[in-house]
Amino acid sequence: MTQDQAAQIELAQLRRLEIASCAEATTLLLLLGLAAPLKHLDGWDMGVRVMGPVHGLAFLAYIWMAVQTAAGGGWSRAEIARLFIVAFVPFGGFFNLPFLFRKAAEQRAMNSPA
Amino acid sequence: MSLAELYPWLKALHVASAVIFAGGVLAVSVFLAAAPVDLENSSSFARMVRRWDQAVTMPAMLLVWAFGLTLAVTGHWFSEFWLQAKLAFVLVLSGIHGIQSGRLRRLAGGTAVQSLRSSSIILGCIVVIAVLAVVKP
Repeated sequence: MTQDQAAQIELAQLRRLEIASCAEATTLLLLLGLAAPLKHLDGWDMGVRVMGPVHGLAFLAYIWMAVQTAAGGGWSRAEIARLFIVAFVPFGGFFNLPFLFRKAAEQRAMNSPA
Repeated sequence: MSLAELYPWLKALHVASAVIFAGGVLAVSVFLAAAPVDLENSSSFARMVRRWDQAVTMPAMLLVWAFGLTLAVTGHWFSEFWLQAKLAFVLVLSGIHGIQSGRLRRLAGGTAVQSLRSSSIILGCIVVIAVLAVVKP
């Protein structure tokens, strides 16, 4: 396997983590911004009953993918801690995106010819 | 067909997925314990193992969670001790699979990784999960 192919594997993993991060934050936004107000204002609880478990699964998927990404190596302890802390911060998944974009840019820079 | 009528089918599919998932995690643990010794040869083998992991073990893990959570919701078992404990052990197994998956990715890319010895933890988790699921203490 060439160095380029190995870098592509890492970039694909970062891309999947970006999607999981975005999904985790978006499902929380839908749960708190739409489903919960509709339940309290209109008595429509179907949104909460659906979005609650969906957000739970999105949260677990993000955590699992963060474990999978960090386990591959190349991450400092502070970066790994940051990956997990954002999962417990409301909408942290959105704030996580610039950090993940930066990591992907570092990966591309490492692989590009000097 | 109601969820109660579907129960034996859901349970059978949950058990089948769990067996496939546990087998996959155990097999990868044996490979990762030995693989880092010979990077050149283990890298190409790691790509094959990774393909199996992505095509079989990972979907099996997702199905374990999907069928398991559906069974727990239909049976109203979330407040039961045995299920809470079982969930904790399944989380540990899923976490180990996440670590294995990351190491396999690196190894398949030709980068050396630290040896990962997790077989005893995996075996312990499988035994405890089976006891909790069947005995329901």
